[in-house]
Amino acid sequence: MQLRFLDRLALLVQREVGRWLGPIWIPVGAALLRWRYGWRVVDARAARREFRRLRQESSAPLLVCANHLTMVDSFLIAVALASPWWYVAHFGALPWNTPERDNFSRTWWLRIGTYVMKCIPVERGGDRREVGRVFERFIWMLSRGDVGLIFPEGGRSRSGRVDVDASTYGVGRVVKALPGCRVLCVYLRGEGQNTFTDAPARGERFQVGFASLEPKTERGGMRGSLEISKQVLARLAALEKDWFDARQ
Amino acid sequence: MGEAEVFETVVKILTPHAKNQAALAGVGMDTNILDDLKVNSARLVDVVLAFEDAFDVEIADEEVDNVNTVGDCVRLVIAKAS
Repeated sequence: MQLRFLDRLALLVQREVGRWLGPIWIPVGAALLRWRYGWRVVDARAARREFRRLRQESSAPLLVCANHLTMVDSFLIAVALASPWWYVAHFGALPWNTPERDNFSRTWWLRIGTYVMKCIPVERGGDRREVGRVFERFIWMLSRGDVGLIFPEGGRSRSGRVDVDASTYGVGRVVKALPGCRVLCVYLRGEGQNTFTDAPARGERFQVGFASLEPKTERGGMRGSLEISKQVLARLAALEKDWFDARQ
Repeated sequence: MGEAEVFETVVKILTPHAKNQAALAGVGMDTNILDDLKVNSARLVDVVLAFEDAFDVEIADEEVDNVNTVGDCVRLVIAKAS
């Protein structure tokens, strides 16, 4: 991997700043979600157990892949997978993610927030070299044992359902670059969330489903990356079906 | 396969994905695929797979990072095919 020294240094500094400030911002952030907006992930115990098991059973890279309906999904998924204080003690488990730069660079406090929250902003549709550098940085952090989070559809689901035909290759690229990489698929959805929105409704209750897999491909190049992404999307679609079946 | 022939095939592949048909009319080696032709970045995978099929080459994810213009595509394909 050809990540430049300065990029590596910047990532390590970012991680340390987030970690040292973690005892402040992690509980405060979780409290905001819970008490300011009333968002609650219900019955997340099984998902948290699985997440801890995956973290403990092996040091192989771990990538969380989730459906995407709102701009705060990454926070909600983090809440679903562990308690705030567990993240304070196990900061590597708090997933790195790659939000759209435009959405999270509007104000200084959003920029600081995304910095300490282990975000590597990306300009979707921007210069391909810059997008590639974001992937390299993300992959490097996972190779060091931190967890990453990717939305395989590449953006919020415009139909409100997992788009299994989304032609995105990001997940595949990350998995191929990290031998033995495990994927934890997470399906998180608010009970009243009918389609994609900027934020969930106030007081929304979220139900979470999950499944682990190790996607594989014999193919090389982008075709192989696409195949891996399809495997992950298919698993997310199956979780989505379970989610709706359970509510009929 | 010569540069002109590769260029022609690359443009043909990009045509259905280009939202800016005016830019397509004056397309050249320096035309930016995303900024000028307004190809949706989410469709890049389809474009790259079409290149692989058309030129019988395999393009790695990292190689796509260096592709911004039509000329980048042409040079990449020629380098891979030779």
